[in-house]
Amino acid sequence: MVSEQSGKETAFRKQVRDWLKTNLPKGWGTPEYHAPERQTEAAQALGEKWTKTCYDAGYAGFGYPKEYGGIVRPDWEIRIIREEFTLCGTPPGPMSQGLLMAGPTILRWGQEWQKKRFLPKILNGEESWCQGFSEPDAGSDLANVRTAAVRDGDDWVVNGQKVWTSNWMFADFGLLVVKTDPAAKRHRNLSYFIFDCTSPGFSRRPLKQMSGESEFGEMFFDNVRIPHKNLLGELNMGWYVALTGLAAERSGGFAVGGRSTARRGWGNMESIVELAKETKHYGKAVWDDPLFRQRIAQFAIQGEAMRANGALQGAMARQGKKIDPNEVSVSKNFSAELRQHSDDMVMEILGAYSQMVEGSPLAVNGGDWVYGMLRWRGATIERGTSEINRNIIAEKILGLPREARGND
Amino acid sequence: MMEYGINEEQEMLKTMARDFLAKECPKTFTRAMMNDQTGITKDYWKKMADVGWTGLILPEQYGGANMTFRDLSILCEEMGRMVMPGPFVSTLVMSALPILNAGTEAQKQEFLPRIANGQMIMTAAVTETDGDFWPGGVNMQAYPRGEDYILTGAKSFVPDAMAADWFLVACRTKTSADPEEGITLCLVNKDDWGIYVNPLKTMDETRKQYQVTFNRIAVPAKYILGEVNKGWRYLKDAALRATALHCAEMVGGGEWVLETCVEYAKTRVQFGAPIGSFQAVKHHLANMYTQLEYARALMVWAAESVKENDPQADLAVNMAKAYCGDTFKMVAGLGIQIHGGIGFTWDHDMHLYFKRSRALDTVFGDANYHRELIAQHYD
Ligand SMILES: Cc1cc2nc3c(=O)[nH]c(=O)nc-3n(C[C@H](O)[C@H](O)[C@H](O)COP(=O)(O)OP(=O)(O)OC[C@H]3O[C@@H](n4cnc5c(N)ncnc54)[C@H](O)[C@@H]3O)c2cc1C
Repeated sequence: MVSEQSGKETAFRKQVRDWLKTNLPKGWGTPEYHAPERQTEAAQALGEKWTKTCYDAGYAGFGYPKEYGGIVRPDWEIRIIREEFTLCGTPPGPMSQGLLMAGPTILRWGQEWQKKRFLPKILNGEESWCQGFSEPDAGSDLANVRTAAVRDGDDWVVNGQKVWTSNWMFADFGLLVVKTDPAAKRHRNLSYFIFDCTSPGFSRRPLKQMSGESEFGEMFFDNVRIPHKNLLGELNMGWYVALTGLAAERSGGFAVGGRSTARRGWGNMESIVELAKETKHYGKAVWDDPLFRQRIAQFAIQGEAMRANGALQGAMARQGKKIDPNEVSVSKNFSAELRQHSDDMVMEILGAYSQMVEGSPLAVNGGDWVYGMLRWRGATIERGTSEINRNIIAEKILGLPREARGND
Repeated sequence: MMEYGINEEQEMLKTMARDFLAKECPKTFTRAMMNDQTGITKDYWKKMADVGWTGLILPEQYGGANMTFRDLSILCEEMGRMVMPGPFVSTLVMSALPILNAGTEAQKQEFLPRIANGQMIMTAAVTETDGDFWPGGVNMQAYPRGEDYILTGAKSFVPDAMAADWFLVACRTKTSADPEEGITLCLVNKDDWGIYVNPLKTMDETRKQYQVTFNRIAVPAKYILGEVNKGWRYLKDAALRATALHCAEMVGGGEWVLETCVEYAKTRVQFGAPIGSFQAVKHHLANMYTQLEYARALMVWAAESVKENDPQADLAVNMAKAYCGDTFKMVAGLGIQIHGGIGFTWDHDMHLYFKRSRALDTVFGDANYHRELIAQHYD
């Protein structure tokens, strides 16, 4: 029996699919398509344009109230849109820092003028963001930041350095955690600001990653003035504001390039199977090797487990059951570690070809597999390392006692 | 419709099950059953019947409670949490369901109401010497003689045979290229002259297994279940459901282990601090929690797919069985590790879960077997 709802869903799915067909960049998803090189103006422009196209068509901007530019649709439509988008691996929006971090933080803590000013342009892709949290001596131990701000009239004057800043190059605005009360106790001495990347005294430079590109960089603050009205949340309570953003960021899972690991597990299972069928070692297709069959099947299981868990939590949320906000640490670790395991497995399938990177005539899939394997070594470090997330799961969800820390 | 969440009645069923099992199935009872050759008492079975569990998913017309497969899975999760012994799945799923699906009205009338009201315990005798549940393993023959079939041979690894009043026996009545073809199901009374039930000493003593020998047992036509030579599909369908329920038991058991470990890690002090403050222990617990969460999600998906007869039900069950099996084994292994010496003792309950995890992994195919079936979906 086909219910009325499932009939509507099929029709809507077709509508989204048709829209994607006409609006995706020409040749997208085919070998003829040449993506602009990563971290270039061209790549950024493509991302911005794509975000705007999606937003204008009503296929982005979910989860925000209308008055701040949010697009409101029934849950089932949003689910279908996300599924269809991930299935065809749409181009990355440039906005992941904005959408994942800045948006939720501003929505939760922002003053009215901040919400009106910043949220719509995050959603439509017009403005790009970065997150200035980490410092050379404050990584996992974020509360240890040294970059300091001193009040001067209506402004705060900032001096210091931030590091590992993703999207450093294209950001129009940044989120900044700085020390505003050197005398106060840990966690009560930091404030959270929005800063303008065109401010005098602000400079940035690239850091080259092991994957070759410079997605992250360093930012330097030399007497940079930030207006007091750019404060997010209360003065000296920035630590708690930062926690919201970190949780929101983790909840994004690994959705870069529109290819979340969840769909990779399911949608992209096909591409791994295809690779295993096409690739021969010692005269035999990899897919016929029982050990690889086991491992690829395990990958399918874990991908599907992520999908099922999302459905389970969605159902619980609909029933008004409280989901521990620290659950994001569970899904973040699971997706990041799954991604690394599957990438390692793909390298083994490729064999000697795993040494061929973008630019080599022998690179498989334009070197994308190998690039991904390198890039996603960062997945278990960024957004809270796997170890930190395990501490969070154990302490916050399971209620285990904290381990003694040197600076407690 | 596939519904991942649980509704109010299911919430109540869960609470009721937890209370019932805490009262009626404490570890003292389970340990007594470990030492008992039958592995269950009539008294316990009657109590389960009184709360409607023995016929939970059977239709009302046969005395059942007509509840859904998901409800049953919620119940099994609680049973797994308490490592409940006894022939619950053997009776209600492996025997009653084939009777419901393949039986004549007379057969249904004869068996189902008595199963539902707890008077009759059954088990399916399928596996033979290779220990695997698959059609190629069914070689014990049944020969036609007039209206009857004559059974001679042996079944191994038969669960709950001593507790059972009747057996559902899978016999080979024809050899053919497709091993599924030529299997016939017979209903056999355990008290028939010529049936021998020998207990096999099992590692998991909460799950009894036996060797059952049939010496020229005559099965009249009225006890042939379904069409001759076409019996396998009913067993296969029942096994799919039983496998999904074992996943629920494994998740329930895993959660007991995790909770017990968390409590212990908070209170056991070494080096002047609770062991749960040490990351080596804490991270084990975080990993157990994480894997159990995904095991649960797959288990729920499998239960719902089976309930809905979804076209992907096989795949869902393959995935859930592989993942829940691996997870329960990992969790139960760490359960012992985290408890140290006390966890290694007979008196601590942790080994019951450890053994159950190893036992359930072998039932209806282990993780490797199910992963191979998943791969075949993509061939
Ligand atoms: C690709 C990428 C993008 C990033 N983007 C940004 C960004 O946009 N903005 C930003 O602010 N930061 C960003 N970061 C920085 C990131 O947040 C930090 O690298 C991360 O928090 C870890 O800090 P750290 O590098 O100082 O390592 P450390 O904190 O020094 O950790 C080193 C090792 O010690 C372990 N460790 C540390 N403390 C503990 C503990 N208490 N218990 C157990 N183990 C512990 C860690 O798990 C890790 O294995 C990015 C990082 C990467 C890799």
